[in-house]
Amino acid sequence: MNPTPAFSLADVSFRYPEAVALDGLHLSIPPGECLAVLGANGSGKSTLLRVLAGLCFPERGEVAFFGNPLTEQTLQREAFARHFRRRVGVIFQNPDVQLFNATVFDEIAFGPLQMEWPKAEIVERVHAALADFGIEALKDRPPHRLSGGEKKRVALASVLVLDPDVLLLDEPTAALDPQSQGHVIDFLFGCLGKKTVITTTHSLEVAQEIADRCLVLENGRTAAVGPAAEILQDTALLERTHLVHVHRHRHPSGAVHSHPHRHY
Amino acid sequence: MWLRQRAFIEKTLHRLTGTLEHAAYADDAGGKRGFLQQLDPRVKLLGFLGLIFAAAASHRLSVTAALFGAGLILALASGVFALLARFWGGVLFFTGAVVLPAVVLTPGHALLHLPWVGWAVTDHGLHSAVGLTARALATATFAALLVLTTRWGHLLKALRVLGVPTLLVVMLGMTYRALFVLLRLAHVFFEARRVRRVGRLGGSQRRQMAVSSAAMLLSKSVQHSGELYEAMVARGFRGEAHTLDEFRFTRWDWGMFALFGVGAAAAFAMGTLP
Amino acid sequence: MHIPDGYLSPVTCAAMYAAAAPFWMVALRRVQRALSTRLVPLLSVCAAFSFVVMMFNLPLPGGTTGHAVGMAVTTIVLGPWASLLVLSLALLIQAVFFGDGGITAFGANCFNMAVVGSLVAHLVYRTVSGRSAITSPRRVVAAALAGYVAINTSALLAAIEFGLQPLLFHDASGAPLYAPYPLGIAVPAMMLGHLALAGLAEGILSAGVVAWLQHSDAALFKLNEPAPLDGWRLARPLWIGVAGFMIATPLGLLAAGTAWGEWGVEDFNKPEARQAMAMASRNVAPPEKAPRGMERLASLWTAPIPEYAPPFLKSPSFGYLLSATMGVGLVLAASLGLHGIVRATKRRDAASPES
Repeated sequence: MNPTPAFSLADVSFRYPEAVALDGLHLSIPPGECLAVLGANGSGKSTLLRVLAGLCFPERGEVAFFGNPLTEQTLQREAFARHFRRRVGVIFQNPDVQLFNATVFDEIAFGPLQMEWPKAEIVERVHAALADFGIEALKDRPPHRLSGGEKKRVALASVLVLDPDVLLLDEPTAALDPQSQGHVIDFLFGCLGKKTVITTTHSLEVAQEIADRCLVLENGRTAAVGPAAEILQDTALLERTHLVHVHRHRHPSGAVHSHPHRHY
Repeated sequence: MWLRQRAFIEKTLHRLTGTLEHAAYADDAGGKRGFLQQLDPRVKLLGFLGLIFAAAASHRLSVTAALFGAGLILALASGVFALLARFWGGVLFFTGAVVLPAVVLTPGHALLHLPWVGWAVTDHGLHSAVGLTARALATATFAALLVLTTRWGHLLKALRVLGVPTLLVVMLGMTYRALFVLLRLAHVFFEARRVRRVGRLGGSQRRQMAVSSAAMLLSKSVQHSGELYEAMVARGFRGEAHTLDEFRFTRWDWGMFALFGVGAAAAFAMGTLP
Repeated sequence: MHIPDGYLSPVTCAAMYAAAAPFWMVALRRVQRALSTRLVPLLSVCAAFSFVVMMFNLPLPGGTTGHAVGMAVTTIVLGPWASLLVLSLALLIQAVFFGDGGITAFGANCFNMAVVGSLVAHLVYRTVSGRSAITSPRRVVAAALAGYVAINTSALLAAIEFGLQPLLFHDASGAPLYAPYPLGIAVPAMMLGHLALAGLAEGILSAGVVAWLQHSDAALFKLNEPAPLDGWRLARPLWIGVAGFMIATPLGLLAAGTAWGEWGVEDFNKPEARQAMAMASRNVAPPEKAPRGMERLASLWTAPIPEYAPPFLKSPSFGYLLSATMGVGLVLAASLGLHGIVRATKRRDAASPES
């Protein structure tokens, strides 16, 4: 008997006024897995992440978190909501959305304060999180004065301070310089096996580095799902779902040659 | 003509960048190791409010001047002297518009007559103009010292000692953060319009440009607040506001608190004695 | 219109804090009670918006430019109660962080712009737009009028606060201690600029934003439609009480003020007239005697206060405290009256049979 999946989705559909975002999606994510969600812009990646985070609710189909139904009603129950929010951490792509407090200290203390833990314990945890991510010096700085890489570290610290079991990340390496991208990948690497990690990404490099399994979305439907090594070798699939671009170059002989090109 | 057509864009851009710079200076100053920076934010908040009140109530030029002098010394001790001028700008502008005419408009004994126009500078006019300017400068200096030596996040939490509700403290923090997001956004709007060479614009087109920027900013603001709400909910927000501070009163803080209190009370008493 | 520190006496400032406080409390309670927790980020971001929009340089007809406060825009989108909180937050950050507007004068600035500005804008907008459709051009006109009337009401209040200072607060020799101009100068000087420029800027901004939103983001008007925060009806008793209190204070203040401080603006252009005024006021305000206007004023408002009342009730400051709000009282009473008439007319229209 398999353990209860961290998330299970059955026939999940979600529609925006102007477009379909998810269309009859089935998915089961065992605890401890690292799943990379791949897909072109508008394929439904971000919507899937919001559904998993309990921020929007499908109009059809069912979502369960460790066997408990995840609906608007269940999340209105305070005990379940607190339990769910502590165990599931979400890292948004846009740092202006992720960081909404006046200082780094307040940012990291925000989650623990909502849990209404004792203040002394919160202070201790906040300082531990600051130390874990090497951002003690930034404690009193306002987020708008941080670099992109620093913002990402603060974002990770502000979510990890709750010690969640599940991490949902939206494009964690987008708009970062190569060094900061490396830090994020290192961090995710350290989570492997300990936490369930679900990340959307454009970057096949990230998927290659950390994912156990890849899900490729196309127009809100599953185009493919399987072990990362398999999916990432399937050039025809990747090309069809716009995950690789065709690269043209001229050989010294003068012949023009084009072939799919992957950046990693 | 070309210049004038673009002037409103330039002026707006200038103000937007000016605000960003101002905030950066203030934030840097708050992080320095100076005399006032070391004090508990609550001591500074209550202390400077007392001094501001004493300066605003003072009827005596000597007391107002002494308070202003004390402010300048505190600024020197905290390494923010050079930044004070930014806060005086608004005060002096207002003073120029209001106070200078008062020198001749206020009835009283004529002290001297201005050359050419022959208007009389009156004793009451001069007295009230000097008094007003000194008082406005002293209060502006204290307000500036409070902000320049206290990081914004700490200042907000210090407001709790005045009985400001936690919800407002949390909202002020978010407002401050959102301010920089929107300043950047507005900057992008106007920068894009400056770069786009749209030929000659009539007055109504220029107005439309400015107004539609404001409307777009409002639309984006509401959208942004929706995204922020999701980010807050994802971290466990359920509508209740909480704050956390690490303030601790040391013996030094108590001493300075007493000193501020005595100073403000003495200035108030001396400044308002008949 | 952001009044800095030092221009209003501490008593005035305290009175203005006291005037704004009940509105803040009601607004905050409404926000806390409103079921939608979305209001916390919404109001915070909108406060930042109104801060930024105050920096916009708006080209006005005739080649000049002006700045708007955006009080009608926030009121139309968020409703008056949320708007008054939003504007107060923006004004607080301006005052504390940027030194724009005083800290002691914060109560006055909030009362003038945030509280009265929002509520007047709401009243005008609702009255003029009526039940017109969200995309109706009538709403654009309503927004323009709301902005124009609201900012001019705020400016009038500020001018009255300024104008009362020399009347009530001067030293023994008669030299004014705070803002130096009497009502006769402060009101026209302030209103001229606002009627001609700032009012236009506010009207243009409000109308333009509403027109743009009608086209491109009409959903924003719905933020305020189910109206968890639209509390005119619920708060009417509060307003009637405030208006009544303020009207009950002596109406003779403005008339009394003319004895010492009221001169025609044009008189100041004539040197001989100014000399005459200087002479006159030296006679009127000798060090050992209170100004005649003050005496008259004092008798006006100490009359209803019994002999055994504590002495502070008879001080000029207390009289001022009562009187300062009178101007607002009149505006409010007029607004309430107007609102009542409009409602009554509508009800009659609705009641009259179609045939």
